Amino acid sequence: MKILKSNAGHLTNFEVLDLLRSRGASKDPTRVMSLITSSEFKVYDYLVESAACDQTRENINQFVEKSKEYKLAKAEVINIINIRPSSEVELAPLIELEQRGWDEEKLTEIVEMVTQVLPPHPNQKESDEVAAEDDSAKAGDEDNAEDNAEEEMDAS
Amino acid sequence: MFILSELEHKLRLPPHLLDLPLQDAIKGQLESIFLDKVIAKLGLCISIHGIKSIDGGFVLPVEGAPTYTVVFCMVMFRPYVGEIIAAKLKDSNPKGLQLSLGFFDDIYIPSYALPNPSHSEPDVDPNRVRWVWRYNDMELLVDEESEIRFQVTSVDYPTIPLEQEEGSKPFAPMVVTGSTDSDGLGPLSWWV
Repeated sequence: MKILKSNAGHLTNFEVLDLLRSRGASKDPTRVMSLITSSEFKVYDYLVESAACDQTRENINQFVEKSKEYKLAKAEVINIINIRPSSEVELAPLIELEQRGWDEEKLTEIVEMVTQVLPPHPNQKESDEVAAEDDSAKAGDEDNAEDNAEEEMDAS
Repeated sequence: MFILSELEHKLRLPPHLLDLPLQDAIKGQLESIFLDKVIAKLGLCISIHGIKSIDGGFVLPVEGAPTYTVVFCMVMFRPYVGEIIAAKLKDSNPKGLQLSLGFFDDIYIPSYALPNPSHSEPDVDPNRVRWVWRYNDMELLVDEESEIRFQVTSVDYPTIPLEQEEGSKPFAPMVVTGSTDSDGLGPLSWWV
């Protein structure tokens, strides 16, 4: 065995999940009729519970475009896509703050951009909805936590 | 977390697979050889991404099976130092925490990498210990349910030991060491 290129490209969690899905991985418990080995299934199980499960290629491309204005390093962009922070304190370890000298406002901007572009974590969807119901009395709108986040941004 | 690596391998294709389409037979063989195994300095093999070229197919003397030289791309799990990963708690003992990703279990957070000041409390199970962080008069417990975020501080590939004692932990070819000593790290329930 020879190693030709040890790094032929970084992959976001979404891209790996997409690859497994295209080969037939799914959540159904029988899992007999697919070409995926059990070890690949373990990776699928992990990714499906992470923030990558609802992402789409468009979301990711959009996020990469918008993050160019902040001049984030590639590793930081991938990290943010994988973790999908929804608050400044979650964003802080992902970015090299000392080298940049940014203040709170910049972090808040980025967090708002993240919550707008990338779909929320499956666990976070419920807590986002609860927060949205407390803040704005929109009783009918239970499905779109993102819409509510956008409305909060417009209002402020 | 995941990186593509390009590898070349000389592969012997057993004759009973020769009725399958070549691509599938070779992919199957590669999977059985590489998947879920660790390659030193490259990481844990997750999945074959694609086959770039298949060469050869020569049958060497005295052999019944053709040998192919295959160049292929493989998805590897290889976290880089400084990456933030979300994992679940697997074990909590006096040395620190052990986290698991489902497909990879050897993630250790040593006790000195927990936020300062932390102390341990005995748990119901005598081998386990509960770690608690005291922050401004609040006692925050490392709980079992919420996902734990940590920052990777090193990825090691220890060499295979020649002998192992009876009953010791199975040898871990790839060990990820992390730290939760920073804002936003540790159990998610601490920050949200």
